[in-house]
Amino acid sequence: MKKICILMCFVLMISLLSGCGKKEEPATNDGAVTEENTNTEAEGTDAAAEKVTLKLGIWPEDTLTDDIKLHEGYVKTFNAAHPNVEVVPAYYKYATDTFVSLAESGNLPTIFESWYTEPQKLINGGFVADITDILEERGWLDAINPSISDLLSKDGRIYGIPRDGYALGLMLNVELFEEAGLVDDNGVPKYPKTWTELAETAKAIKDATGQAGICLLAKDNAGGWHFSNIAWAFGATLTEQGTDGKFTANVDSKEAIAAMEYVKSLKWEYDVLTPDPTNEDWGTGFVNLGTGTAAMYIAANDAVNQPTQVNGLPVDKLSLVPLPAGPDGQQYSLSGGTPYMFSKDATKEEIEAALDYLEIMGKAPVATEDAIAGMKADNQNKINNGVPVIPRFPCWINEDLLAAEKAVTDEFNNVDMKLYNDYYEAIKKEGNLRLEEVGSAQDLYAELTKVLQAVITDKNANVPALMKQADENYQKLLDTNVNK
Amino acid sequence: MFFEKYNKKTDGTIRFYDLHSTKTKIMCVVIFVLCLGIMVFSLFPSIWVFLASFKDIKEFRRNTTILPESFNIQTYIKTWNDLKFIQYYINSFISVTGCAICAVVFNGLLAYGLGVLKPRGYKIIYGLVMWSLLIPTTTSVVALFVNINRVGLNKSFIPIWLSLGANAFYVILFKQFFEGIPKEFIEAAKLDGASSLRIFRSVILPLSQSIVMVVIIFAVNAAWSDFLLPYLVLGGSGKETVMVRLFQFNTSNATDVEVLRGVAFSIIPPIILFAIFQKQITLSVSAGGIKG
Amino acid sequence: MDETREKKMTIKRTSKYKSDIAGWLIILPSIILFAFFVWEPLIESIRLSLYSAKGMQTIEFVGFDNYAKIFNHPDFAAALRNTFIYIVWSLVIGFFVPIFLGVLLTETVHLKGFFRFGIYFPNIMPGIATVMMWGYFFRPGPTGVLNILLEKIGIEPQVWLTNPSWTIPLIILTMTWKGAGSTALIYMANISGINPELYEAATIDGASILKRVRHITMPSIFSLGKTLLILQVIAVFQILYEPLIMTNGGPNNASISIMQLVYNYAFRDFNYPMAAALSVMICLVLVVLSGTYFKITKEKEY
Repeated sequence: MKKICILMCFVLMISLLSGCGKKEEPATNDGAVTEENTNTEAEGTDAAAEKVTLKLGIWPEDTLTDDIKLHEGYVKTFNAAHPNVEVVPAYYKYATDTFVSLAESGNLPTIFESWYTEPQKLINGGFVADITDILEERGWLDAINPSISDLLSKDGRIYGIPRDGYALGLMLNVELFEEAGLVDDNGVPKYPKTWTELAETAKAIKDATGQAGICLLAKDNAGGWHFSNIAWAFGATLTEQGTDGKFTANVDSKEAIAAMEYVKSLKWEYDVLTPDPTNEDWGTGFVNLGTGTAAMYIAANDAVNQPTQVNGLPVDKLSLVPLPAGPDGQQYSLSGGTPYMFSKDATKEEIEAALDYLEIMGKAPVATEDAIAGMKADNQNKINNGVPVIPRFPCWINEDLLAAEKAVTDEFNNVDMKLYNDYYEAIKKEGNLRLEEVGSAQDLYAELTKVLQAVITDKNANVPALMKQADENYQKLLDTNVNK
Repeated sequence: MFFEKYNKKTDGTIRFYDLHSTKTKIMCVVIFVLCLGIMVFSLFPSIWVFLASFKDIKEFRRNTTILPESFNIQTYIKTWNDLKFIQYYINSFISVTGCAICAVVFNGLLAYGLGVLKPRGYKIIYGLVMWSLLIPTTTSVVALFVNINRVGLNKSFIPIWLSLGANAFYVILFKQFFEGIPKEFIEAAKLDGASSLRIFRSVILPLSQSIVMVVIIFAVNAAWSDFLLPYLVLGGSGKETVMVRLFQFNTSNATDVEVLRGVAFSIIPPIILFAIFQKQITLSVSAGGIKG
Repeated sequence: MDETREKKMTIKRTSKYKSDIAGWLIILPSIILFAFFVWEPLIESIRLSLYSAKGMQTIEFVGFDNYAKIFNHPDFAAALRNTFIYIVWSLVIGFFVPIFLGVLLTETVHLKGFFRFGIYFPNIMPGIATVMMWGYFFRPGPTGVLNILLEKIGIEPQVWLTNPSWTIPLIILTMTWKGAGSTALIYMANISGINPELYEAATIDGASILKRVRHITMPSIFSLGKTLLILQVIAVFQILYEPLIMTNGGPNNASISIMQLVYNYAFRDFNYPMAAALSVMICLVLVVLSGTYFKITKEKEY
């Protein structure tokens, strides 16, 4: 048997090597051919009035017919100004399991949206285009909200622009608050100001309506992401950076443990969670909130279409309030930005075209007539689809744009701002906004999510021990991946 | 009455002569009831899918009933149209047909070479094919996808079809069957001056209908259910198959009931096919299994 | 005499060459397919596992660094342990259920066609549809299908997959639900093929029904069972989509499988070298597993 094995290995190696050699040839040939093609193409573009193809990954999903109409309008305006650009709808919903294949095969759309968590990973992988110079030329560089531009940059170069900024808050299903009698005379929900209050409010709602008080996530990294915000309120900082630039895990601090004990009590003491938090992710959280199976959910201002348009909550029954404060009154909102990023294979002309398109959508730091028309069309579409029109989180900070945005938002306002004002007040406070943990946030979230799953499924879970384990694991990951 | 049929029973353990004792009679009834129970267990989940997908999202998330409040076929039609499922059906049909053909032709030819022709050095290839059985394909799917792009076959059905043409399991099924074909048939055809390919087409294949049927059934099932490679290759090309669409629900805004309806759409064609070819399928599975 | 003989030999030899060439030509297209779809990607994986990389572009040779990193990864121990738990449960549930079903169905005479249909039915369900469907069944809380059914007979709602000690058995149950039918049919065909005289002789010797099952039916399907067993272990070792879609490996890694770890490295972290390294290790284990198995059973081929 052993002999046969060795022989087989040998044969395998030989045949594979020879196979490789043979196969390599056509492959490289192909490579050369495509290169030639692109060369001729490039020459062609130089000669013939710069034909540019703009593959729009930000095209809406085919079920959102109204949104598609909206974009068709944008394309019309766009082509009037840029007749040489062919706009190709290439709806792409960012998903980690397809992304690399698309990138490696050169099939990424020119411009696409990603998630708040992804930019650094994409930059490190070399999948996205460096757009520093282009932005500089356009004078957009200084217009980006600096807290967001950090998330999109590496070594002083910038690789994306924000679609929206966000800051986490607490979304409320006003219907359930009404059902539980927790609204004041104006119909504004009496929302919890501290995490302890939150547990009590949640209990009151559960007792009155039978539905979960709060939807907590524990399926994937979004669970750890939300938890980090809760932990901050309890006074924890989960990763520390030494003077030598090395990161140290600080997951088992007594504040972080207190925060985790609190989450545990939501399940075993108050019993106010949805039936299976380990099956809840970012999307199902909105399903719960929108369909009235949970009254509260940690979410941000850029996702108000999720409970309403997508999951059927009436537009006036959604409220967004500040996240509760911790035991010492500390209150933070995790903030970041949903990015637009650009394919590494996109040419400068293509990226320019994409940016021009964003201008027409009203998503760029310019307040031209077209841009304002784009914002208006967007807001009209929101109204038609029952999405609250509320102020954006300032991802661009140039004054003219902010003024224009405010004017348009005020004009199209379709909700009672009393349901949102406290949130906007809170995130304006000095020191309230906080960026995600440094080090290796995704690894941190993964470890925290595991602990969340353990405390929610096991009544006797030993929180300090679990947090200590998470701390060790995270430190190990930091040491192998980041601290070098 | 219930027991009369046992007179004709010739396989298994219990025979008519066992039925003298009441204990055995009771046992027979118990077995029958058990089997009915098993049927409920294996059929109910799919039936539930159809029942539950008539609910609307609020009803689905909040009501604790099995039956929906109403059977409004309109909701179904709406989801069907919204998701443009007819296109996915057509795409799947194209994909499945090509896959089945490739599965038979390429694996059949390889098995013919390895089992009948046996050209010098064939054992190396046979060994490699056997090893392929053990290789999990999921992990190398990215490398494969890059290759597919390199040869310019992205967004085309061709790589999906051909991928079924390299299946070690089918090769082994074919090979074992071909080896059982009496050598005289092949020798006779050779004496008539038929070429190797010709022998395959006019001697081997006609004698192998049963195994071809087995492989077609396996291949159709596999091709209909496969989604990772099609997801990568066909994604965004307008050629997405039903399973690709179903997998996309993972990262989409669709609600539970829409997903459920999607599941329902995805199991209707296999159910219809199975209802029609039930006998052939169950027979060939057991036949193929014995050889395998 | 000698000359003609030699001539004949040469003719034979050349014709042998010719048929060799014809044979190779016939299998060549299939070999190219295998090389393209199976072998080359594997080689690519082996190569990648020894390098550091940016995306899929290799940067530098790092030897076995990626392998070492895997052993250091906090999830590895859990995945390894779970994979063996999966195998154990699949033996307990997945292996015996089809045999039981096969024996049981052989003993019925009524509605046999329907039983055959019903038992094979789950098998035609596409894998992800099955997994999604059972996800709804196992949903905890009052709206989960199983909990709705339990409520009807007055039992408290259960948490199903979120109870860490149930997670793996329930996932295996789902796989068995889908796969047992076809295996049972194979056993049935095998049982029907047993020579009836054996049973008759045993009956004359006074063997009871259960004894006949034990001493005649079981030994007859033993060799088939062996083959199916190893195929099952190989399949379960690579379990991926069931935990991925049903539990995402949780709660707290209670159901993460080795293949899912590979999936996470590749498709969540974009760390292809580590994914490749782990899948190479999986291949090695599988080769060793089946090698050992064949040695024990002294079988050379399937």
